[in-house]
Amino acid sequence: MSAPGPDPRRAEIDRRVLDWLRSADYRQDDARFEALARDLFAFQFEHCAAYGSFCERRGVTPATLRDWREIPAVPTGAFKELPLHSFPAECEIKRFRTSGTSTAKPGTLHLDTLELYEASLLPTFRRHVLPDLTADARLAIRVLAPSPEEAPESSLSHMFGVVVRELGNEHSGFDVSKGELRCDSLYAALEGRAAAGEPVLLCGTAFAFVHLIDDLERQRVRYRLPEGSRLMECGGFKGRAREIPRSELYARLEDGLGIPIEHMLNQYGMTELGSQFYDSVLAQPTELRRKLGPPWARVAIVDPDRRTAVASGDVGQIVVYDLANTGSIFAIQTADLGRPVGDGFEVLGREPGAEARGCSIAADAMLGERSS
Amino acid sequence: VKAAHIGEQLAALREAGALLRERPPEATLIALADVLDSWRDPASTWRRALEAELPSVSGFSPEVVREGLRLGLEPWTGDALRALLAHEIGPPSGGDGRDFVSGFDSTAVVLAGAIPMTTLLALIAPLALGSPVLAKTAAHDPVTARHIARSLAERDPLLGRCIACVDFPSREDDCVEALLAADCVVAFGSDETIASIRARIAANRRLVAYGHRLSVAVVDPTRLPEDALRDAAARLALDIALWDQLGCLSPVAAWVIDSDGRAAPRFSEQLAEALAELAVKLPRGRVDPAAGTLASHERADAEMRAAAGAAVTIHTGSDGGWSVISESDASVRPAPLHRFVRVHPVSDRAALHGALAPLSRHLAAVGLEGFGNATRDAARELAGLGASRICGLGHMQSPPLSWRHDNRGVFPPLARLARLEDPR
Repeated sequence: MSAPGPDPRRAEIDRRVLDWLRSADYRQDDARFEALARDLFAFQFEHCAAYGSFCERRGVTPATLRDWREIPAVPTGAFKELPLHSFPAECEIKRFRTSGTSTAKPGTLHLDTLELYEASLLPTFRRHVLPDLTADARLAIRVLAPSPEEAPESSLSHMFGVVVRELGNEHSGFDVSKGELRCDSLYAALEGRAAAGEPVLLCGTAFAFVHLIDDLERQRVRYRLPEGSRLMECGGFKGRAREIPRSELYARLEDGLGIPIEHMLNQYGMTELGSQFYDSVLAQPTELRRKLGPPWARVAIVDPDRRTAVASGDVGQIVVYDLANTGSIFAIQTADLGRPVGDGFEVLGREPGAEARGCSIAADAMLGERSS
Repeated sequence: VKAAHIGEQLAALREAGALLRERPPEATLIALADVLDSWRDPASTWRRALEAELPSVSGFSPEVVREGLRLGLEPWTGDALRALLAHEIGPPSGGDGRDFVSGFDSTAVVLAGAIPMTTLLALIAPLALGSPVLAKTAAHDPVTARHIARSLAERDPLLGRCIACVDFPSREDDCVEALLAADCVVAFGSDETIASIRARIAANRRLVAYGHRLSVAVVDPTRLPEDALRDAAARLALDIALWDQLGCLSPVAAWVIDSDGRAAPRFSEQLAEALAELAVKLPRGRVDPAAGTLASHERADAEMRAAAGAAVTIHTGSDGGWSVISESDASVRPAPLHRFVRVHPVSDRAALHGALAPLSRHLAAVGLEGFGNATRDAARELAGLGASRICGLGHMQSPPLSWRHDNRGVFPPLARLARLEDPR
């Protein structure tokens, strides 16, 4: 970790954001969000030249801004094209790269501090994945992803590294190495915790869990992990494993691991974001499953052409406004579809096997094929 | 639809097919040629019914359906069908009597997408060889195949008995298995769909697969006067607007030979003007949120590159109904479709070859304009990249019946061919 960049305005914004991230105040404080969003936008407008120019072309400047929802969002694809950061290049201490599985070229997130990322991650993770555990509790966390040492440019591995470091006990570890799921080490750990009657948290990418159920079914192994065990999956499938609907994935994981579906959740995040969103199923088990995030990160579901919020229940494009992104860009336009659900949202994927209306292949699919 | 029902339909079709093959092939060909000619008539009952029903199920605007059918059917005459069959297979009762051609006892056609031209030829071609057809309709177009079947039955009751349509979700494995029990399978769809079908069919069975493809335009404005260039842009706009750029013959991008950095941006402006005009004459149809999101994402991405100083210009309709991105280089980028086109500068033909190389596995048509005496050489290079059609702009959506779709003929892949050799 390092101190934030040398700019005093940035340091002050970071301090104010960190105050919120580290406080116990998890309320949707609109005034606090608005004030920080305005100041952060003004800073990034001035200190990231490409972003400032982009906003001017959209006719939005700090002087004209009426509402934080007007702040122009940068598409995630732009991180493949441009170094989008709001600090001098020499202050960079870390870079994360996107997986590059859906297009040929990976994107890059440049960081001058990891402090905000980690300060945003931990309270949100605790709240949504471990809501029933005391603040000082640690448990066995098995990660179906490579370790941060093996994948230093993966934000996912970094995230899991922080989670294991801060929340895991001595039985925690990483069970993907050199691109392979290490079933032997994973099964040994699961059997140990099952014998001890201690719950396990399994974390990993969706495609890693596909490989896991394939192996469990091939070996005809079924676990009944202790009560309180849970599973968090994140990420998509594209180009990495065969794509199966999430409902089927969860049902087969329940069968193979003995973790009830209501203890399985999806995390929605991406390299370009400092904060993540989680299924509400553990934090609010009696309410409708939806994605919730921390109060310092907001989501808007917008009409892709008009850029205005869609009505509740309608489908639109997901735009994320994340105060933890102080060093890069606050407003991120994703390529994902979502639907507002109450105080949260639902992420919609393309149904595997859905038919196209035409016979043209979108060039991104073709390029994705090349890279996979 | 139950799997057992599909099995019964296949059995009935095989019986009818046997009767079809017993009668002179010329009679079948005359009937099919008549049916094609009747579909070309805008006043025909079937054409009008399709024009009325297809927009709501497919999402295309009524104007696009009407114009797409008008232009697409124009070259598909009964005479063209006869000529193609004679060219590819030989005359029905001609030759030296030593060539034997027969269709399969049954052909299953797995349709995809909502562009009716593909469906029409896919259903007629096996029948011309005496093979009855069981068609699985596409999710986005349950109507075209049925109208074609009715038009066949009206003209020729035996042909009517030789075609049937089924409609079931592709995830119903037992129905898929029953359908794929046909003696020959013709399948349209994504590479994923084709791979799935291929895996279910025994290696010794005939599978004629057409995966998804894309098309592009290539323009050399060097010797084209301003008016001609504007006209070329208007014709390219029509190729893009028809079927909302969703067909495999729809150009997703244009490469413009540009030695001074001005030609491609100028052509982009002209193309944008033409697409704006067509947005009124041929309105874009329904766009699902996923497609709208991809287009919005790519427009914003281009805006960011422009903001960072790249020579990128974005032209777009007020409602996002069309977009032209004048790119700064020749590199292939994602194509969101739905009237979203990129115009790339490229220094010369050699650079063009390199720029298009990443598309070669999926290339269908290339619309070519302005190459003058170099047209044949350019076409040879494009054919070497895998293009199966090279044509003028404005004609990309009206291929001749003889188009070698996926670099193949129309009839040979559907036929069993044999020849009695001379005694030695």
